[in-house]
Amino acid sequence: MAAATQTPDYDRQRAAAERAAIDASCRGPVLYFSASAVFWLLIGSVLAIIASTKMHSPYFLTGTPELTFGRMRMAHLQAVALGWSSMATMAASLWMMCRLARAELIYPKILLASATLWNVGTFLAVFGIIFGGGQSVEWLDAPQYAPPFFIAGLGIVSAWVAAVFRRRREPHVYVTQWYILAAVFWFPWLYTVAVMMIFWSPATGVVQPIVNWWFNHNFLGLWLTPVAVGTAYYIIPKVIGRPIHSYYLSITGFWALALFYSWAGMHHLIGGPVPAWLVTASVVGSMMMFIPVIAVAINHHMTMLGHFHRAKYSPALRFTVFGAITYTWVSFQGAIESLKSFSEVAHFTHYTVAHAHLGAYGFVAMIFFGLFYYMIPRLTGREWASASLIRVHFWTAAVGITIYFVGLSIGGWWQGRMLNDPNVPFGNIITYLKPYFLTRTIAGILMTTGHLAFATLFIMNLAGWGKKRVGGPTYFVEPLKTTNSPNAKN
Amino acid sequence: MSPADITVIAIVIGSIALFGGATVLAMGWAFRNGQFENFQQGAASIFGPDEPIGEMTDAFPVKRAAKHAAQPESQD
Amino acid sequence: MDRGMVIFLGSLLTFASSWLGLVLFPFWQLQGEQPYQADPADDPYPRPLQGKALEGKKIYQREGCLYCHSQQVRSETFGNWWDENGNERTGADIKRGWGLRRTVSRDYIYDRPTMLGTMRTGPDLANVGSRYSESWQHVHTFNPRAFNDWSVMPSFAYLYRKEKIVGERSDNALKLGREWTIDPGYRWRPSASEWDAILANQGAAIMSQFLAGAASDIDVTTPEGKKRLMEFWLTTEEEGFQIVPTDEANALNAYLLALRKAEVPLPEAKE
Repeated sequence: MAAATQTPDYDRQRAAAERAAIDASCRGPVLYFSASAVFWLLIGSVLAIIASTKMHSPYFLTGTPELTFGRMRMAHLQAVALGWSSMATMAASLWMMCRLARAELIYPKILLASATLWNVGTFLAVFGIIFGGGQSVEWLDAPQYAPPFFIAGLGIVSAWVAAVFRRRREPHVYVTQWYILAAVFWFPWLYTVAVMMIFWSPATGVVQPIVNWWFNHNFLGLWLTPVAVGTAYYIIPKVIGRPIHSYYLSITGFWALALFYSWAGMHHLIGGPVPAWLVTASVVGSMMMFIPVIAVAINHHMTMLGHFHRAKYSPALRFTVFGAITYTWVSFQGAIESLKSFSEVAHFTHYTVAHAHLGAYGFVAMIFFGLFYYMIPRLTGREWASASLIRVHFWTAAVGITIYFVGLSIGGWWQGRMLNDPNVPFGNIITYLKPYFLTRTIAGILMTTGHLAFATLFIMNLAGWGKKRVGGPTYFVEPLKTTNSPNAKN
Repeated sequence: MSPADITVIAIVIGSIALFGGATVLAMGWAFRNGQFENFQQGAASIFGPDEPIGEMTDAFPVKRAAKHAAQPESQD
Repeated sequence: MDRGMVIFLGSLLTFASSWLGLVLFPFWQLQGEQPYQADPADDPYPRPLQGKALEGKKIYQREGCLYCHSQQVRSETFGNWWDENGNERTGADIKRGWGLRRTVSRDYIYDRPTMLGTMRTGPDLANVGSRYSESWQHVHTFNPRAFNDWSVMPSFAYLYRKEKIVGERSDNALKLGREWTIDPGYRWRPSASEWDAILANQGAAIMSQFLAGAASDIDVTTPEGKKRLMEFWLTTEEEGFQIVPTDEANALNAYLLALRKAEVPLPEAKE
């Protein structure tokens, strides 16, 4: 590999122009997906604060059916899981697939339709629940008219990712592409099976919760996690300019995740009226998750070794590395949590809620924030308008999720111990939990502050308030100025 | 053991044979095909002449940080 | 074969294994479960929900009750704790009175959706129908803090209607103290000046109401006396108004009363 200084300028410009053309082809759909994701993040945050406040102050906004706790709780999940996380996942998948395949996005207008379908679906889910259509099926609370929109939108995205992959000019298939390809294949299957077996043609009795938890756990494990891990595999080496530590491990990690993560999840039914072998099989899957997690941990952290100081200078790196470290932590925790003796206490408590948020926010959302800080300027050709707002976003998010996790983990653990002891009156448990519920609200307000900063930056960038980048390294090449691109798009 | 149990065990053993067999075949193919060679080349595929190894490609939008980031650092 | 095909086949096989193992096996194993009849003359158990209870299940779903209340009783060997002598013991669900036995898959064969739940911010409801009366449930749904001041459950006052009494107080009117009804969903206590105004208006009537049920007199000229009379007055029902359940409240209640999953003995639930 030639060192940077020896590369002839001509090659460098050519490569930069090609990349700028690819970024330009992604601009419309990926920005649309990203902006929608940020919008739903804000909606989800507001719903979260309302729901969280009601847990310690039950008279807050009482008397309005639309704002009752259960509806806010269900709507929050739909907004952040299907609105924010999934749309960010799709934006990430499309953009990184184009870049890594070195192929331009074809027919971007159809992807605009796909994002619209997904937005309509999320809108129907969130507001359908608020106005009394909630289903009380965890993660699948959306009223029955919403899933067809999700399935249609998802089908288009999956087809487009596959199409870009087939048009690839880069002969090597990078590990991030493995993760993305698998995720866009798994998730439509997962979602369709779950909706079918729970709503369209309901399976008997407890088979529904079994399918439900298979879906819920794999929503994180086979949809958000692969794309987020893949994003870290791209952003970390790319930002610091150093190939990942061990490519061999990354591929091993991929197959181990594919095989074992899909088997996890049934420990959420531990002790319940389901076949015992099912929970046991699932716990084995969870324990085996140590293999891919350690593989990914070695890779992400060894790549960063000696370069951690660079997180000071790069917002994308800072968020992504936070997410990657959290991934290691949350996965170790998750594997241990699935053990029977541990689950006997943690099940039915807010400990699980803390764990879920550490995964969905501390890991997935933080990595996608990192990706957005890297990707959006390259799509719009503009710098972020304010470094201070980025710092506000990072610190509120990092401190917020830490408070959230620590508070609810402690509260939830003792909640579980007390629930297991029949001599502890139920009221004592609730009284004990109230201060911990309050820490969640404080954490939620902090994180929401960060989201407002993020949304402000995002809007400013779209509105063209950021500086145009001139000179320096090529990372902010203005895509429209490229003339000598070998595959320029009109 | 009831007939239902025997059915379940038969299905489990059958699946292990099926999926295990597929894994063995896949691993055999991968070795013969050379999928386990030249791994580190793949890791470098995301770099190119414009964004070479050793160059940082992201920075806070302020002059001080941008200067740090723009300085190419030699690698390997 | 290129690497795209490898990734496709690999992710197909790995995911298919989990689909087969975690979804299809349990599906085949459990799909044929039938209701139980100890004797051909007995009613089969369980029975599908009908009428109001079925409508009530929709309210339960729409308000997201599942997110704080599970519907499963776990076995006596599940979950450990230590008694006052430091001996390790197991099982809390049955000891807490949440059911007479653990629930098994057969208890749920007619549930759509099956709301096992994964959170116990509130108590388990698998068998709640046998624990509380209809009138208790109504008052508790209207405002849980009417019974338990520590409760964080939402007030579902919007499932109830406040109306002017025409003639007699209705039979199904909630037996609620004034404290909980003046502003439905909130606890209401008059301020010192409000209470003075109320006393000036209807002090004599309140006093005679108090005296009808109590032996001792109250001296309302002292602050303690005034406070005691107010405490009494807050437990009395609001004059001229009553709180009655709407159809939705009745349906929800019918569903809660129909939740009796951990009572009828089943052979597989012995442990």
